Amino acid sequence: MRWKEHFCAGYGDMPDLPIYVRHERRALLRAAVFGTRGREAGPASANSVLTGVVTGVSEHSLAVHGEAGEQVISLTQGTVTWLGARATPSALRPGDRVIIRHRPWRMGAGSHAPAVAERIWARIGRVTGTIVAAEGRAEHEFLVDTGLPGRALERVVVAGASLKQIQVRFPRLSAGYLIDVIGTRHQGYLLAVAPATAQPPYRAGHRPAPPLISGRLADPVSGTAVWHESGDEPAGLLGLAYPALDPETDGLSDGRAQDQACVRLPYLSLGSTVRVRNECTDRALVLPVTSRGVTARQFCDRCVECGTSPRGRVADLTMAAFVELGGNLEDGCFNATVALAH
Amino acid sequence: MLNVVREVQIPLLAALLIGGCAAKGRRAITERSIEAGTGPTATFPLRLHRPVAIAMCASEFALGIGLLVTAGRFGASPLAMAVRVATALLFCTAVGALHELRARRPDAGCGCFGELSDTPVSWRTITRAALLCAAALASIGVRPLHMPGSPGIAAVVITVTAAELAVLAALSPEVGELMARLSHAEPCELRRVPVARTLTALRASSPWRRYSPYLISVTPSDVWREGCWRFVVFPGVLASRRVDVVFAVYLTGRRAPVRAGVLDVDSAPPLHAPIPVPLQISNHV
Repeated sequence: MRWKEHFCAGYGDMPDLPIYVRHERRALLRAAVFGTRGREAGPASANSVLTGVVTGVSEHSLAVHGEAGEQVISLTQGTVTWLGARATPSALRPGDRVIIRHRPWRMGAGSHAPAVAERIWARIGRVTGTIVAAEGRAEHEFLVDTGLPGRALERVVVAGASLKQIQVRFPRLSAGYLIDVIGTRHQGYLLAVAPATAQPPYRAGHRPAPPLISGRLADPVSGTAVWHESGDEPAGLLGLAYPALDPETDGLSDGRAQDQACVRLPYLSLGSTVRVRNECTDRALVLPVTSRGVTARQFCDRCVECGTSPRGRVADLTMAAFVELGGNLEDGCFNATVALAH
Repeated sequence: MLNVVREVQIPLLAALLIGGCAAKGRRAITERSIEAGTGPTATFPLRLHRPVAIAMCASEFALGIGLLVTAGRFGASPLAMAVRVATALLFCTAVGALHELRARRPDAGCGCFGELSDTPVSWRTITRAALLCAAALASIGVRPLHMPGSPGIAAVVITVTAAELAVLAALSPEVGELMARLSHAEPCELRRVPVARTLTALRASSPWRRYSPYLISVTPSDVWREGCWRFVVFPGVLASRRVDVVFAVYLTGRRAPVRAGVLDVDSAPPLHAPIPVPLQISNHV
């Protein structure tokens, strides 16, 4: 038994490598065993998404400072802007954090022509988690635990004009129940303007037992893809929080139980790659698992963007990945399938 | 023949009503909430969810028992007529409620049979409710039930019952869910497998015996899982070069297959050409 103790003790001390270093190395090691390198493209890079901070706005263009420096994006009459609701690009102000889905300028306009913005989301944010406390006058302010270790409680303020709309989908705005709202980011809080889903009828941690699966697991697995804010991750990261990480090797550091999500997914590890397909736009990307889908496991909801998806969240995408796959952030979800990528 | 068809409806409806109530009760107990799996109650204001759920369950139970109690010698009484009319009203209301639920909450299940009824309401569910409504209407005015008088009549009763059950099963998404639960055998991708068990299987494998002389440490430098496979990496030295020796251990079966590969620490291409075996979900080796 001594060798086994040595194995496990040593593994516990393994250095925590950056996710991309880990992914690249693991892909090579997997190929060394199975010879699968090249059968599937590596993780995708963003082709149509730009994230950054607005540095200037004019009638026909928008200057954005992103990871690649200053970039200018053309605005057209077809550009859709979201700033808590539909707005015109003139509503944007320098300093606004934006995420933009763009397309190349039409053919013949020259290779140096700036890309054209299709959709712009400004100061958009989302809080998903368990209500810890309701406070403030008329109890329209909430503290929410997003379930991520080391992350502070999120403060959510419900905009007065949106209260009824949110209460229709989230009738139990009290401690212990789940909340998932979309809104605009302000200093230290999220101003919620719309529900991202319907509230589960159960209290947090009391979701129904996951369905039993017999025989072979469906491949791919269908369900709902949602998005989360970047937090500590780079803003333009293409990746996903996966709801079924191997509890033996990727369990939560605080030792909390990490049982299966509402939808049964194959166990994977941080750095594994999955192919995510947006069933509504028929766009697919190979994405690395970059974080734990802690809150995604709590929801047994469906997405009705294009037909009704099976119950449960199969992927909690980064904002950039969600937009790159053709999703609209204010919708909150799209019907998706997830498969192992090799 | 027509009378036999009408008579069969009473025990069938009673069984479905009592079964539906029992399934709802079971779910309420396991999830500690009477409102769990709300179904049509989702279309009511929140404060009414609980009383409506209780009323639904209680009326199903009362009508189910009422149908059974009044089926025999009280079959011609006004009480039997009232119970059967109420049953028909319940199912007619259900048709409308399910249609409304489908329009307002396309993601919600009907909750008819507790946790088995989580599939979103579809035309099948609504058609089933309509069929049961028709069955309840047909049961109004049926004479008191009695045992079949001859083997021929008994055969007709059994045939009609089986045919109606087959139609109801075809209209019930719950049947598929029930079958999955009864024939449960969890795929390996979903099984929790301790790392220690993986290491035991690895230690007993021939790839381990072949490559262990080249390892400079028995402490894994990385362990991760992809579906049915767990990968374990050890540092090693081969032909005076620093290498990573990686083992892939299949996570099910008495003699789990183990594969191995060697990769130079500094260069990308594998040192040993691997056997080109596709890594697939539920890959049976």
